Amino acid sequence: MTRFGFGRYRALALAIGLFLLLQVGLFALDRNISAQLRADAVYERLASRQFAVHLQVIQDSTLLLHGGALTDKQREDRIRQLDRSATHFGRTLEVFSTGGTTVGKRDIEVHVEALAIPRAQEILRTAQTAWSPVAAAIAALKAAPGPAEAAEPARVILTAVPPLRKEMVEVATLMDDVASERAATLGMAKIGALSLAAVNFFAILFYLAVYLRRSDQELERARKETADILRTTQEGLFLLDQQNRTGTQYSRALERILGTTEFSGKDFFSLLQPMVSEKTLATTREYIELLFKHDVKEKLVADLNPLNCVQVFVGQGTGRPETRYLEFGFNRVKEAGRITHLLVTANDITQRILLERSLKETEARARDQVGMLVDILQIEPAALQQFLRTAREGVQTINGLLQAQETGATERGSKVHALFRQSHRMKGDAAALGLKNMAAAFERLEGTLTGMHENHSLTGEDFLPVTVQVKSIYEQLDAIESVFAQIGQARVSVSLEPHRVGHDPATAQQPFVQRWNDFAQEIAVRHGNTVELNYCGPDLAVLPDALQDAVNTIVNQFIRNAVVHGIEPAEDRKRLGKPATGRLTIHLAQREDGGVDLSFRDDGRGISVEHVRQVALEKGRLSAEEAATWDPRRIIGLIFEPSVSTRATADGDAGRGVGLDAVREVVARLGGSIRLGTTANEYCRFRVGLGAPAMGSAR
Amino acid sequence: MTEVELRVFVAIVKNYFEQQTAVAADVYTPYLADPTALPIFDYTGVIGISGVRQGCVYFTAPAEMLRRILKHAGETDLSVRNLADLAGEIGNTISGNARRQFGHEFLISVPVVIKGLGQTISLPKGVKAYVIPFCWERLDAALVVSVV
Repeated sequence: MTRFGFGRYRALALAIGLFLLLQVGLFALDRNISAQLRADAVYERLASRQFAVHLQVIQDSTLLLHGGALTDKQREDRIRQLDRSATHFGRTLEVFSTGGTTVGKRDIEVHVEALAIPRAQEILRTAQTAWSPVAAAIAALKAAPGPAEAAEPARVILTAVPPLRKEMVEVATLMDDVASERAATLGMAKIGALSLAAVNFFAILFYLAVYLRRSDQELERARKETADILRTTQEGLFLLDQQNRTGTQYSRALERILGTTEFSGKDFFSLLQPMVSEKTLATTREYIELLFKHDVKEKLVADLNPLNCVQVFVGQGTGRPETRYLEFGFNRVKEAGRITHLLVTANDITQRILLERSLKETEARARDQVGMLVDILQIEPAALQQFLRTAREGVQTINGLLQAQETGATERGSKVHALFRQSHRMKGDAAALGLKNMAAAFERLEGTLTGMHENHSLTGEDFLPVTVQVKSIYEQLDAIESVFAQIGQARVSVSLEPHRVGHDPATAQQPFVQRWNDFAQEIAVRHGNTVELNYCGPDLAVLPDALQDAVNTIVNQFIRNAVVHGIEPAEDRKRLGKPATGRLTIHLAQREDGGVDLSFRDDGRGISVEHVRQVALEKGRLSAEEAATWDPRRIIGLIFEPSVSTRATADGDAGRGVGLDAVREVVARLGGSIRLGTTANEYCRFRVGLGAPAMGSAR
Repeated sequence: MTEVELRVFVAIVKNYFEQQTAVAADVYTPYLADPTALPIFDYTGVIGISGVRQGCVYFTAPAEMLRRILKHAGETDLSVRNLADLAGEIGNTISGNARRQFGHEFLISVPVVIKGLGQTISLPKGVKAYVIPFCWERLDAALVVSVV
């Protein structure tokens, strides 16, 4: 509801009110005095007529006294005239004293009040005393039959009337004085009122001048303050009306934030349109409509603001487009309880968002690196170096396989197998070292390749997920190398977990034996077995790099194969009369030709020919006829082929049928040989002979 | 760069061939390559990517392939300038479609055409790029994506 008040205009209103009051007062005074002056004028006219009547009376009386030549008719006329004049004179004298009605010029009746001047009343009383014999004399005149009888009354009249001239003059003079005095008073009042009006006018003028000057100064100060704020604030500020038009005043920062200088009086959505998606634009429109609705609580809908943190494109088409993150805030502007505008604030929060993102990435990287660090600290440096070397070469081999182009689906299927073998081998190496993330990455890659294996019409594009995952593995390797380099010289041999001691305390302490043992224990734990690993042979470090890598890869696969497929659960072993703990025995011997002979034996359930036959049949590796006709040696040989795993389900340890395939591939690369001996429920032994690697050959 | 994002670029190039020549281009196995070992043919249309993601995407093709594409389009002017314009057009197609597909995810520049090996292409350093080989009418070309 509007409340009208003078407020800062109170003084101005008072001044104008005073001016009007003065004018009203002056008007009233003027009206009053004018009325009195008009009355005085009537008095003066009557007084003037009294002089004329007075002279007429003297003249008529004189003629009657000395008018012997008058005819009777003339005498009667004189007497009649004298009577009328005397009556009028006497009546006017009475009216002057007591007020009433008399006759003026042209015999017009005039009403006057008694003269309010004491001196005039005193004179009038004297005049009335002097006039009193005249009435009787007039009556005697009227009754006189002839001139002789009229002489005496005429004489009485001539004696009484002339002196009245003095009183009449005095009354007239008094009245004139009073009228003059009143006219002077009126004049003075008018001058005074005009002076006051002038003073009042100048006061108003002065007040207005001062007030306007002060207002102008305040306005200018306010304008300057507003301009300073709008110029210096780092926040974009502007008003938005109900037609979604931007105001004419806005902060300079807004131009920088929104990357446009044409902002004043524009449609807000037209400005937003090139910066945000259609969806965001539509949501913003709905949100602003909500804000202009009086029955919607501002705070309740604040969370719906779609521009709270919005990614925008600014400067498109200018050659230097860039992405920014902006934060818009909307606050209602109310006037008399009505929402008239929205005050919009805009901030460029790009740095904050990027910083937050960077922090998150840094945190994630740090977390990963800490995890990686823990893994790495448990690994003997030489072994890690060896792994990194092998893994990088392995990934490069994978990438090389990808790069080699085939045009047929069959060739691409073979490529999938080759990739799988390589991946599986590296997964084993990574798991053996305890690099869980790396092993998991290869596990994922194997999963992808397994899916592709079922696809008999592979295209090049189908390998895209493989390439993406290989890139991820490259990045992981880079990260490990980076962490490894950072801890570099400061690294000390740290063992976070106690290692199990092997059969030969001296060799069991060797890092590579510890790694094999740890790997065996890890798998055994996952599969509910207990195993003991014994090694007999030289330090791997004495071997050439290529042989080191090959032996390590082969042993890892044998360990995995033995623990997963060979070693029975403790209960079964007891039932078979075996020790509860399975035994893995590794012998390594250097040959004179520079090669090595490796023997790997486990005392598990051995390899069941029938089981392998059944699996090969189920997986389509063998036809029914082949399965029936192949001899056991040939059947057993299938375990070195891809996709033949005797494990029912695949997991991170085994079951994909590529573990021994990878061994065969390594052995074949080094021109070696594999022999297998097994007895059901007793043992399984692999004997591998590896020749000396050629100089400069790839590992 | 995710697999989905890569597939967008691959689809753009495949669609271009199908729509312009009605002959599909084969995609060969994608692989990774160091910035110093990337394939470059006679004409290369390069689009830069800036903003939150940085890098570049380019399509490189031999002159013979571009000549054949022009012939498919009924173009008789097989001048060097026209071949370069075609490389730019392919780059522009990649740029425009990618902008539509990715919205505000990427800031994609207008394409720049590079002839032969005369100019260097600015790629993120120390990062392996995706190379997606294409084969069309027995001619090899490649799409290279290197974005970090």
